[in-house]
Amino acid sequence: MFLQTIRRYADIILYRTIAGIKSESRQRYLGYLWFFLEPLLSTSVFYVAYSQITGSRGPDSVLMILIGALLWQWFEGAIMAGANSIKSKFHVLNQCNLPKFLFPLVSIAVHTWKFLCVSVVIFLLAFFIGHPPNIHWLYLPLFFVLQLLLIISISLPISIGVTLWADLQIVVSSVFRIFFFISGIFFDSRQIPENLREYFYYNPMAVFIDAGRAILLRNEAPALEQLEIAIIVTLLLFVTAFFLHGYYDKKILKLINA
Amino acid sequence: MSENTPVISLNDAGICYRPLRGFFNKKAKDIWALRHLTLDIRNGEKLGILGRNGCGKSTLMRLLARIYSPDEGRIIYHQKDVHVELLSLGIGFEGNLTGRENAVLSGMLMGKTRKYMLGRLATIQDFSGLGDFFDYPVYTYSSGMNVRLGFSIAMETNPDVLLVDEVLGVGDQVFMKKSTDALREKFQGNHTVVLISHFPDQIRQLCTRAVWLERGKILAEGEPGEVSKYYRENVHKYTQ
Repeated sequence: MFLQTIRRYADIILYRTIAGIKSESRQRYLGYLWFFLEPLLSTSVFYVAYSQITGSRGPDSVLMILIGALLWQWFEGAIMAGANSIKSKFHVLNQCNLPKFLFPLVSIAVHTWKFLCVSVVIFLLAFFIGHPPNIHWLYLPLFFVLQLLLIISISLPISIGVTLWADLQIVVSSVFRIFFFISGIFFDSRQIPENLREYFYYNPMAVFIDAGRAILLRNEAPALEQLEIAIIVTLLLFVTAFFLHGYYDKKILKLINA
Repeated sequence: MSENTPVISLNDAGICYRPLRGFFNKKAKDIWALRHLTLDIRNGEKLGILGRNGCGKSTLMRLLARIYSPDEGRIIYHQKDVHVELLSLGIGFEGNLTGRENAVLSGMLMGKTRKYMLGRLATIQDFSGLGDFFDYPVYTYSSGMNVRLGFSIAMETNPDVLLVDEVLGVGDQVFMKKSTDALREKFQGNHTVVLISHFPDQIRQLCTRAVWLERGKILAEGEPGEVSKYYRENVHKYTQ
């Protein structure tokens, strides 16, 4: 019975995700194409700004920005959508006995799918500008899973927090803005002064973006020792999420009005 | 399991709504929607809950359906994994998906597996009378068609304990008769049903036992005819 329930939740997440993807694409004339166009549009904006300021142009710069921008958009998009999903599904949750973590996970899954679609562009571009697959590409699944776990572990506590105090949403977006500028999306980690570099790598997103560039662009093994903090942060947040959702699951709907 | 064995028991249960206090508004008071409630839902019975608006009926339903947990007292489910479901119409429909796709998704939210719902699609399409519209996106539906679809899905979820909140028949004249009949059938069978209503006649006709709920407490409990009569005679004392 327990397994059956888990199975049903997994099915709900899977089919709600498919429904979300279908539903989103049916709203627009260009449909699924937007999964590629939207991130590529914003990446080109970054590239234009970056190349004008730094003067470094060329395909390698494009790939560098693309890796940073797409990893970041996956991270921010999934967490922001996940954070609001309990409130936006208030009417469903108020009618059906469902755990409150389901809808944040659906939002994350939709954004992860979009990321996977557009990451094909990264691989194609890398291939065509002279960075064919190398042995270090084997690290990619590991980094994908680690970033996904980080996203889930941040989203779940925030989803409860934002539902209870809408104020938190404003704080969270400001924090994201700061991290957007310090995660190395449009600059390379090696441009950071030596004495600050240690602090730079305290930020898990900076580590993931740098690892992506090391693997795809520089044909190097990623610095696994820098993952320590990302793993600790993820584990701590998972414990927090577990207790928060356990405590609030049957209470949270009484405490809000949506 | 025989008649009269309790499926769910409430033991001195209470539910409290605590409005979130803001920086400029610290005075928001706690609201106890249910207080010291002791009640058994017995296997196979049709329990009617009578009460005026705001007496705690809907809160009680959400407590029974495990959407809320009690803030005091206890709720005991005697059967492990008993499936309690609130009859709800068209919850969480995705406008861009077809009636068929929504039927499966909606049923899954209401506690059924995907496989189970796939097997029920023909019945749902048939009962809803939507015909070819079943394969059209739900945003093209009229509100009546939405309700038809919602009701037809809800009729196929067959929970162990069905909670019905006011809605009995829905839709136009034709569908109203069909839906009322379908729901009445649930009251005939072996299902355990809890019906909320502020119409004493409905409770008298459909239920085997009745409870009068007022301000989160039970005022009367017993045979539906007697409780309805008592309610009718005394309800004006509680209306200001």
